[in-house]
Amino acid sequence: MSEFYEGMAEILEVDATEINADYELGEAWDSLAIVSTIALVDEVFDKAIGADTLQECRTVGDIEKAAQAA
Amino acid sequence: MPSLPLARSRHDVPACIACVATHVPDEVLSNEQLAAEFSGWTADKIFEKTGIRERRIAAKGETALDLAVAAAERLFAENSKPRELVDFVILCTQAPDHILPSSSCILQERLSLRKAIGAIDVNLGCSGFVYGLSLAAGLISAGAASNILLVTADTYSKYINDRDKSVRTLFGDGAAATLICADGKGDAGIGPFNFGTDGSGADRLIVPAGGFRRPSDACSSVEVEDRSGNVRSADDLFMDGAAVMSFTLREVPTMFRNLLERANLDEADLSAIILHQANKFMLDSLQKKMKIPEEKMPRRYEQIGNTVSSTIPFVLEQEIASGRLGEGSRVALLGFGVGLSWAGAIVTF
Repeated sequence: MSEFYEGMAEILEVDATEINADYELGEAWDSLAIVSTIALVDEVFDKAIGADTLQECRTVGDIEKAAQAA
Repeated sequence: MPSLPLARSRHDVPACIACVATHVPDEVLSNEQLAAEFSGWTADKIFEKTGIRERRIAAKGETALDLAVAAAERLFAENSKPRELVDFVILCTQAPDHILPSSSCILQERLSLRKAIGAIDVNLGCSGFVYGLSLAAGLISAGAASNILLVTADTYSKYINDRDKSVRTLFGDGAAATLICADGKGDAGIGPFNFGTDGSGADRLIVPAGGFRRPSDACSSVEVEDRSGNVRSADDLFMDGAAVMSFTLREVPTMFRNLLERANLDEADLSAIILHQANKFMLDSLQKKMKIPEEKMPRRYEQIGNTVSSTIPFVLEQEIASGRLGEGSRVALLGFGVGLSWAGAIVTF
C-alpha cells in the first residue's frame, strides 16, 4: 500500500484496503478533504496542487495523475 | 535551560521581550455545542481535525479593545513593570471600536498610560504580532522609544456566520499584551526579521463588505450556502482553506530558511520554533515539511482555538511560565495569514 493511498484512506475515512485508482471520491470529497489532500500531495510528491484542480477530480487515480503532472 | 552559543547576530536590536500576559473572554464554545449545531459532525471529529476542544467568544458589546485592556492590566498586575514605564503603545487588531479614532488612543486612556507617549494601530491578522515586534524593535533602534507595549487583540467571532463551520470551529477571541524593553545587557536581542506580502491572495481570507470598497447594505447581508453546506454573507468572514493551506506550505518553510540564513543561524541554535497557531492540522503539515522536532515546536490551541494575532504571545506566555523559555533562550517566531501576509523574527531572551 502506497503512502499516498494510505493518506487518501485517512482523508476519505475508509479502510486503506478499499483505496485504488478507481475509487470514487463521491460525497466525502468536501472542502476539508481537499485541504487535507493539498497537504498530502505536498508531503508525498513534494508538489503543489491547486484546489481547482482537485475539485475536478472524480477518483483517487485522477488525483494521482494531477499530482504527478503538477 | 538549554545553553546555546550566543554570538550576537549583525541584524538584531538590543531589546528584550520583558513579559507577556494574555486574556480570553468568559464564554466557551465547545465541540459538543458545535456538534449539536452541525449535523454529521461529532465533538471527537472536530477535535481530531482541528486539535481544538473549545474557543472563547467575546460577549455582545465586549470588543477587542476590552480584551486588550484586560490583557494589559494583567501584565501590569503580574509583573514589576509599572505602567508609567510605557513610552509607546502599539495595538494590533482587525476589529477596532470605531472607524476612527485609532483604538490605541483609547487604549492609552483606558490603561491610564502617560500622555507623552506614542500610540498607533496596526491592522494585521495572524502575522500581526511579528510585525508589531518589528515596529517595536525599529522604534528602539531609532532611539524613539524604550518601553513599548504591544497589544494584540481580536474578536473574529463577530465576523463569523453561526452556520459557517469552516471558520467557526477554528477561531477564538483573545488578546495578549507584550512589553518590549530596550536592553543593552547580556545577549538579549530582537531580530533579524523576514517579511512577506502577497496581496493577490487578499480575497482568500476576507470580510468582503463593510469597508468603503463595498459598504454593507441589504445585498451584502444576503446569506448564501456554499458547496460544503457552509452559510455566510458578504458581511461575514470567508476563508478559502485550500488556498490558505497552499500559501502556507509554499511560503512558511521558505521564510524560515531565509530567516536562518539572514541570522547566520542553524535550527540547532534555536530552543523553539513558535509558529502561528492556526490549527493542529496545519501545524502538523508544517512540522513534517520543515522537519521540526516535536520538543522544539510548542503549541497552544486546544483550549482557545486560533486567536489570530495573539497566538504567538499565547505560546510565549505558556513557555515562559513553564520555564522552558528564559534568559539565554533563542527562538524563531513565524506568523502567517490574512493579507496574505507573513513575517518571521529571531528573538533572544
